[in-house]
Amino acid sequence: MKVAGWLRSLSKIIHLKRFSRTWMGKQLTMVQLMELDACMHCRTCSSQCSVAVAFEGIPNIKILPSEKIASIRALASGDGLTERDLRELQEGAYLCTNCYRCTVVCPAGIDLQKLWFRVREILLQRGTPEFLLLSPLSFYRGLMKEDMDQRDYEEPLIRAREAMAAGWELIRAKEKALPLTPKDKRFQDKLGLSAQAKTFSVCFGCKTCTTVCPVVANYEDPQTALGLLPHQIMHACGLGIRDLAFGSNMLWDCLTCYQCQEQCPQGVYVTDVLYELKNLAMREVKEKTWR
Amino acid sequence: MKFSLFLGCTIPARLNQYASASRAVLEELGVESVEIGEFNCCGYPLRNIDFKVFLLSSARNLALSERRGLPIMALCQCCYGSLKKADHLLKEDASLRNEVNASLEREGLRYEGGIEVKHLLQVLHQEVGIKAIKERIEKPFKGLRIAAHYGCHALRPSRVVQFDDPVAPSLFDQLIEATGAEAVDWSMKADCCGAPLWGVNDGLSIDLTLKKLTDGRRSGADYLCTACPYCHIQFDKVQKMILSQRDLNHPLPSILYPQLLGLSLGIDRRLLGLEMNEISLKGIEERLA
Repeated sequence: MKVAGWLRSLSKIIHLKRFSRTWMGKQLTMVQLMELDACMHCRTCSSQCSVAVAFEGIPNIKILPSEKIASIRALASGDGLTERDLRELQEGAYLCTNCYRCTVVCPAGIDLQKLWFRVREILLQRGTPEFLLLSPLSFYRGLMKEDMDQRDYEEPLIRAREAMAAGWELIRAKEKALPLTPKDKRFQDKLGLSAQAKTFSVCFGCKTCTTVCPVVANYEDPQTALGLLPHQIMHACGLGIRDLAFGSNMLWDCLTCYQCQEQCPQGVYVTDVLYELKNLAMREVKEKTWR
Repeated sequence: MKFSLFLGCTIPARLNQYASASRAVLEELGVESVEIGEFNCCGYPLRNIDFKVFLLSSARNLALSERRGLPIMALCQCCYGSLKKADHLLKEDASLRNEVNASLEREGLRYEGGIEVKHLLQVLHQEVGIKAIKERIEKPFKGLRIAAHYGCHALRPSRVVQFDDPVAPSLFDQLIEATGAEAVDWSMKADCCGAPLWGVNDGLSIDLTLKKLTDGRRSGADYLCTACPYCHIQFDKVQKMILSQRDLNHPLPSILYPQLLGLSLGIDRRLLGLEMNEISLKGIEERLA
């Protein structure tokens, strides 16, 4: 019995040594490597996950904590993960509200939250753009910025913005003549769900939304800083020019404070249209880059 | 008065004092609150990604509360805005409701639009009432000047949230004055704190936060008062982070409303968690009469 126990410990040490030689394993602490080994895949964490419901709409199983840790463990033991797997893991690791519930309920006592924080940064440093960075999920990352290298903090954000803008070339080609016909009806038809019956179509160009926007008011030259201003984005929707609508910084710098929608004399759901555009842009750029 | 208490993701992990102070204040004022462990994320950060995911996320919480026959009371204004929006849509659009219910049914849940969504401040103002609060005040404040920070997602879009007058709101000011403090008049009171962009575009986020802090200080406020964890963390932890960065030395501290109210109601200060602030709230207790 004693020999069996000793053999078990020996195999554990060999096992952990193997972990610590892989690219992922080298970047985790010894405690974390032991934690990866301790996971029994009981899925208690997934049953308590605050965003597990997102899996119903975003078909990435690695959103669930139990699947995240399984992937990390695979990586640490030297199993090759495909590029697709790695992207899914990066997305799953970021799609997290950092609520700590998984960590609190883990029966093996694994500090899951700390693992997500660490693995998130390891994956972001690989350089694959993560579009979820352009959402309020980044609030928590911002709170931790003092604990990380400033370049490591900023570069993934810059990469995400650039990759997003790269999908829509017309925003950069300022001198290019834009074809207004045939109208991109498909684009216009897609704008309807949360924006509630395409209210952008009643915009009459009074510019109240732009005037009351605190983000616009923050700049000396808002046009250059933001690409398109709110009223211009409404106009772009009206003309069916998706590139201009998606490629503006304004979309990603929108505070969602709802001042524009509140003040609009025509009842255009300005903020909701911007939300809809963000969702469409996210979906399209992901389809393009994940292929 | 019984509600299901919606804590959201940020408060339990990062701002537990908001939960403990709220529970203490609600108990003192006779409001019963029930905590539903199966609640999930309200959907606010998910709205940037996918609308249906956001709607389903919110709807699941509405269904869980409706199953217990309880209205929801949110402490976070982003949660409030999300749940209110989802509730509004599901009440108005039967086909959307059916679509969402098809997903929820797999878990044995349904939402029929039978409950209301409220924020803590609304419950205190409408259900409890200023008069009832004033009657319970043990130690009113004296000579304390507070700038009420309303928070965007509580005020707008007003058609959906129906919280207060979106242009000239007053309920938060009235709640503050009930404690004996003076609610200062400041022009930026209904403006955004900048938190939604923190982590996304830090420079812009800080610029907006600083504008608010400057206006608050210029109006003579001693403290800001908030009723949302994002706003509070922005004015507390993030303000502290940027103090050295932007070369500032006079921070304007922020206090959460149930902490302010709790002090004047004479609630055990250990339940109020004043020490958990990053920018010290030292000195506020001396303003109690």
